[in-house]
Amino acid sequence: MLLALAACSPPSAGPKYEAAGAQTPHRGGTLRFAVRDTIPTLDPTVAYDEISYFALRLLWEPLLDYAPGSAVLVGRLAERWEVTENATTFHFWLRADSRFSDGTPVVAADVKFALERALRTPDSPFSQWLGDVTGASEVIANKAPHCAGISTPNERELVIHLEHPNAGFLYTLAAPFTAPQRESHVAAVGADVRRTPLGNGPYMLDRWSEGERFVVTRNPVYSGAQPAYPDEIEMLEGVARDTQFMMLEQGELDTAYRLAAPDLMWVKAQPRWRSYVKTSTMMNTQGFRFDVTQKPFDDVRVRRAFNYALDRAHVAKLLVGAALPAHGMLPPGVLGRDETLQPYPHDIAKARALLGEAGYGTGLEVELVTIADEDATKLAESFQADLAEVGVTMHISVVAFSVYLTALGKRGGPALAYAGWLGDSPDPTSFLDAKFASAAISDDASPNDSFYANPKLDGLLDAARTDGDSNNRIRLYNEAERVLADDPPWVWAYHEATNEVSQPYVKGMAPSPVWIRDFSTVWLDLDEHGERVER
Amino acid sequence: MSLTLRFVVRRVGWAFVVAWFAISVTFAMVVAIPADPAKALLGPHATEETIKRVQEHYCLDRGFAGQYACWMSNVVHGDLGESYRTKRPVTEILAERIGPTVMLALAAIFLQIVIGVPLGIIAAWRKGQWPDRAAGLVGLIGQSAPPFFVGTLVLYLFAFRLGWFPISGYGSGLLGHVRHLVLPAMTLATVGIALYARVTRSELIDSLGEDYVRTARAKGVRERDVLLRHALRPALGPLVTLIGVDLGVLVGGAVVVEYIFAWPGLGREVLAGIFALDLPLILGVVLISAFAIAIANLFADLAYLWLDPRLRDR
Repeated sequence: MLLALAACSPPSAGPKYEAAGAQTPHRGGTLRFAVRDTIPTLDPTVAYDEISYFALRLLWEPLLDYAPGSAVLVGRLAERWEVTENATTFHFWLRADSRFSDGTPVVAADVKFALERALRTPDSPFSQWLGDVTGASEVIANKAPHCAGISTPNERELVIHLEHPNAGFLYTLAAPFTAPQRESHVAAVGADVRRTPLGNGPYMLDRWSEGERFVVTRNPVYSGAQPAYPDEIEMLEGVARDTQFMMLEQGELDTAYRLAAPDLMWVKAQPRWRSYVKTSTMMNTQGFRFDVTQKPFDDVRVRRAFNYALDRAHVAKLLVGAALPAHGMLPPGVLGRDETLQPYPHDIAKARALLGEAGYGTGLEVELVTIADEDATKLAESFQADLAEVGVTMHISVVAFSVYLTALGKRGGPALAYAGWLGDSPDPTSFLDAKFASAAISDDASPNDSFYANPKLDGLLDAARTDGDSNNRIRLYNEAERVLADDPPWVWAYHEATNEVSQPYVKGMAPSPVWIRDFSTVWLDLDEHGERVER
Repeated sequence: MSLTLRFVVRRVGWAFVVAWFAISVTFAMVVAIPADPAKALLGPHATEETIKRVQEHYCLDRGFAGQYACWMSNVVHGDLGESYRTKRPVTEILAERIGPTVMLALAAIFLQIVIGVPLGIIAAWRKGQWPDRAAGLVGLIGQSAPPFFVGTLVLYLFAFRLGWFPISGYGSGLLGHVRHLVLPAMTLATVGIALYARVTRSELIDSLGEDYVRTARAKGVRERDVLLRHALRPALGPLVTLIGVDLGVLVGGAVVVEYIFAWPGLGREVLAGIFALDLPLILGVVLISAFAIAIANLFADLAYLWLDPRLRDR
């Protein structure tokens, strides 16, 4: 009877609300969205996850950020900056009018304190990000209270000196942990710093029921460049993906992202919803990583054969188009990506020939370690079928993410594993140096978990990292991409795209390739009373 | 000291032993997982130096005995440690999450009793007739349907399609909580309703065959009174034990139901803790769970004593 009752109520085939028809962005309304996980902490020194970043970027404004919808750096707290030619000294001039939400002015010492706090805090993941700063290792080791490489000539100037040149360091200063923190506030609130933010961003915390609902209101003393159109922004925590979609359809949410494949297929098939779906490529690369020190993957012919075997077009289809076939590690928008390179074609004959040359013409049996993730599973199963066509039997082993992470970085770990990499910044160092430089190899927790060491690549990466000229860097990274394509430590599969479906009255949404979601230009086209207009 | 009081003191003492045993076994199981919590916390970008710092900070660089000693020394001082993931004292998290979980558990048990017991009574009263068969069918469906299926179904029907209840969350204010509570409580109670109906039915059928029931009938007592006053009370004993066990288990966290309905209780919290290998949080929830089961069983036994005075002298 209930089924019949439910069946009688017509399914929603389109949005319940529509735009009021305003032509120009304006303030007002509450923007409501939900996330699958919960916010672990609002302390920028330790928060290092997508969800916390959504919250922190509303509350704080670091020296730099990315222009909406792009990976181009723009000044936020910094009104201008200079970098020396050899990329060792970074000089910032701060805006004079930036204030914390309690009205006190932001000074350069607040940024210095934030950076030093990351170095001093034992469980901060960011100390390694500042490893090149002169004197950073002394602060990390508790041998010095202050970092010699960070100075504040006056209240509005901050100078950071690096021990080793690093042209990509500028991107570090867009991360939330580098945003200003007032030392007296951090000392006063103690352990409560995780839920008592004092930021200089466009919004300030209104209320936070942990694990349930996080609400911010516009910061009245904010004077920066972000328009902050919605009066309030509300984030519901811990809501499953399919539930988020139901809430969106019912009008309980204004926008939803990362829809499950069936929901995405459905929404793309609905003429009244279709135009409100936005897709954008993220700064990530998915595929499979080889341990190149282990048989049979110590033979480049086997690694190339596996690359030829993968049918990338089929994978993109499985992922409902949310995937761009990859030719290498660098996603679109990252400096030095060689757009002339093509992904390995799906060439069964070539793959068979290479395996034959390597002595595996009669067959090969391998084990793939992967994680229990919807997309990773689809990718693994599709690859399993592709490999079967070239005479390779692949057994799939699914493990918990924590087990996977621990196993991958250890010497002698899985020879073949699913791999996904989301760059910390759009600088190529965050992809290539982190994953393939021989300096990133260690025995127990190796970031270079392919254990790939190639002196030619090391030379190119070192030269590119220390060169302040971006044209030179582009040339060097193009060359590095070609080296890796020829001697692949991964099966490059695809760059993931994220999708966001918004109500018709949500305007100005510009998905960020770096932050995934960026609400800085969003406005709500509501009626004169601030209400949603029903269709 | 009365016999009952001595019984209570002994059982509370046992609760501590059970709790210690449960957290020690859980500790051993989590430490035995071939995964490093520091790596899980810091993610794939972490360097070996950063991982070592975090391992030292949380005693993870020590062997099993060292880690156990480090954690237990804090526990005996009443400090359950700090969650790796949220950097928040575990006691604070438990204090915040226990309320919604207890509310959900009590609501589910309430539904199990008010729906399951009458179903069982009707089935026993009309044994072999259509009400009995109908109740049996309802019970079979209830016991066979897993909570993830029932939860998703009721969410889709009653919240999404019919709009009678909110889709997700906890709500605010008493009325808000109650509106948000209905669907998760119904989902959680489905299996229990079926079980309570079956137990009530079988105990009541046994009880109806006893001599004292025959005597009551022979004395001309009305059938309704025979059923509800003479036969039902002794039949409720096993049900009380079931309620005790259920209450304890449900307080330990209804993981699936809390996840589906975004109910901010212990179950959803421990799920996030398990994914992050957040050992202090996992142990905190196990501790609460062990105590809840022990205490709920104690109350069930006391209720049993009240229901059956013959046991008080044993």
